Amino acid sequence: MSNALKGSDVLKGNFTPKKSVTTELQDETDEDRFEKEALKRLGGSVCFVSKKKVMWERKDAP
Amino acid sequence: MNKPNEPGELGLSLLPRMNELTLARFGELAMTNARRNLAVACRGKSLTDLRGLQIGDGKSAVVVAAGPSVKRHDPARVIQDFGYTGAVVATESAMHYCLRGGLVPDLVVSVDPQPAIARWFGDPSLSDEEIQNNDYFRRQDLDDAFADERRANDALLRALKAHGPQIRIALSTTASAQVVQRVLDLGMDLYWWNPMLDDPEGEGSLTAELYALNGFPCVNAGGNVGSASWMMADAVLGVPQVAITGMDFGYYDGTPLERTQYYYAARDLVGEEHLESLFMRIHNPHEDAWFFTDPAYRWYREAFLEMVQDAQATTHNCTGGGILFGEGIRWSTLQDFIRGISRPLTREPEVQRGASTASP
Repeated sequence: MSNALKGSDVLKGNFTPKKSVTTELQDETDEDRFEKEALKRLGGSVCFVSKKKVMWERKDAP
Repeated sequence: MNKPNEPGELGLSLLPRMNELTLARFGELAMTNARRNLAVACRGKSLTDLRGLQIGDGKSAVVVAAGPSVKRHDPARVIQDFGYTGAVVATESAMHYCLRGGLVPDLVVSVDPQPAIARWFGDPSLSDEEIQNNDYFRRQDLDDAFADERRANDALLRALKAHGPQIRIALSTTASAQVVQRVLDLGMDLYWWNPMLDDPEGEGSLTAELYALNGFPCVNAGGNVGSASWMMADAVLGVPQVAITGMDFGYYDGTPLERTQYYYAARDLVGEEHLESLFMRIHNPHEDAWFFTDPAYRWYREAFLEMVQDAQATTHNCTGGGILFGEGIRWSTLQDFIRGISRPLTREPEVQRGASTASP
């Protein structure tokens, strides 16, 4: 029985396909893709930080 | 974040995330620019040196930004005709307009990290190819004179050669190499500052990193150069009265959408057929006129309305149009402001979704 094929050898495939097969990840939704595009394209010129004006120096600066 | 179809729906849904979008878009570029600019930091002074500096009579400042109202109300002419004696603070984008009208600003402010805005400083090597490939400066409903790009660029080069060394500039440490080089070549009187990118007290703060890098003061720029200019007048010059002009944060009803600043970005994101989902209409009760705006400008408005609550100065909006009105902002003409007259705000805005491109 030493030359007999094991079940796992058969199941994992014993041929090479002519075209490579890739599986597309289905995790990314339309919503995700749209958000990515929005991140690339929209926004202001510079940030806005709520409740702040000018920090002339840091309180913990020497 | 879905792609809605209702007029204004997407624009409104994006508002809470505008700061996040801005940081994602420009944060890395800003930090890279700041690290590179450290090598030329010694070529300028700190914004601290402008703190409380008396410019003109020291009683007031007029901020000149480059919104579409400028060509209708011509604040540079009013400033000169009325013999205004306070400080004139201009955005870099309004510098060409001011100089063309014979007005030399006392202080120019620049904050945008993108290299493309170096054009506002005149480009000595501007090629026909560049003009052909980039319609940003001629497409928008701004100063018509800048639409003739070759002529405008030549005029700006001449004007800045003559007046550049007289002009103080509050330049963000996150400015591009191209902008910094132009400022240095022109011999402008340079004052460095860091734009706040986040809460400087927060853990892992980029703003704190900027401060640790160069030690310059950190300023809340309010999302855009117009608001940053107002902040300079209020919190840095410390004048008690500030007028803002050319700060529309929106467009006149009837303006074609392709003449708005973010048209290409909006079209590429949602498609021509869904553009209305990004725009919002707002009725300005002071002018009894409708304007429309996009998420970025609407966000600037909300940010400004918050900042004005903590202002030391009284703020007078002398733009003559646009969407920037609300509690803490007086509405006035620039003529009245200069004469020392301003009416308090009493009416609330009416808001609609979508944009009207019908002629007013």
